[in-house]
Amino acid sequence: MEITIDQRAHVTVVAVAGSIDALTADALVLAMGEQMHAGNTRLVAAFDGVEYTSSAGLRVLLATLKEARQRGGDLRLAAVQERVLRVLDLSGFTSILKCYPDVGAAVASFPTHHS
Amino acid sequence: MGRAEDAGGGREPGAGVRRHSLPAAGLADLAAVRAFVAAACDEVGVGTTVGEALVLAADEVCSNIVLHGYGPGTPGPITIEVERAADGARMTIADEGRAFDPADAPAPDLDAPWEQREAGGLGWYIVRRMVDELRYERRSGVNLVTLVKRAP
Repeated sequence: MEITIDQRAHVTVVAVAGSIDALTADALVLAMGEQMHAGNTRLVAAFDGVEYTSSAGLRVLLATLKEARQRGGDLRLAAVQERVLRVLDLSGFTSILKCYPDVGAAVASFPTHHS
Repeated sequence: MGRAEDAGGGREPGAGVRRHSLPAAGLADLAAVRAFVAAACDEVGVGTTVGEALVLAADEVCSNIVLHGYGPGTPGPITIEVERAADGARMTIADEGRAFDPADAPAPDLDAPWEQREAGGLGWYIVRRMVDELRYERRSGVNLVTLVKRAP
């Protein structure tokens, strides 16, 4: 699994590629934690490169979502592949997490400071 | 050995049991577990729906065995078998860790608001949703989980 951080004007895009399982999820926990501790709580997880996740990935998303919202931000998902979306859906995650078709739409969903 | 069907040509896709044994299973083995189950499902001739369901189920069960059955720092053996069942595939996963009946796993509250959502129990919940049958036995120190997934 690979993680790439892209700081946009007011949103941090965390692009993930590969498979998320109980081994690789730790790296994602660390990456999300680093961003939040740096004050970046408006997060987009770009999932177009994620071909697979187990419940370990859901655990990370839930923990990140909770912490981001408690700090006044949010975690939003972009470009989730069909196979991963099915796991999110059957676990009830699509009702608590906002999903967008692409990164641009997810980034744009966060209001800018002076709009 | 040296059976004619091992040559591959004309072999009936469902024949035989595919087995993958891990003497000291760790989280680093999960990728190989998924690859084995995917290949085995392909070999026994079930489609990708059955294959993907059993791949995810195997990952969840093995993750639980490594993290909770044996616990961190004390890896133990896991054996996975996949074979053709009536109209799908049967997978058995055996380990020698702590006894655990999946029926005792807490059911996640999928309708709770985000503040109250908890990650506990999601693994076994997903396993149940992936398969048509889930059986558990404890037999002379061995946990035996049997999963059956029928073709849709």
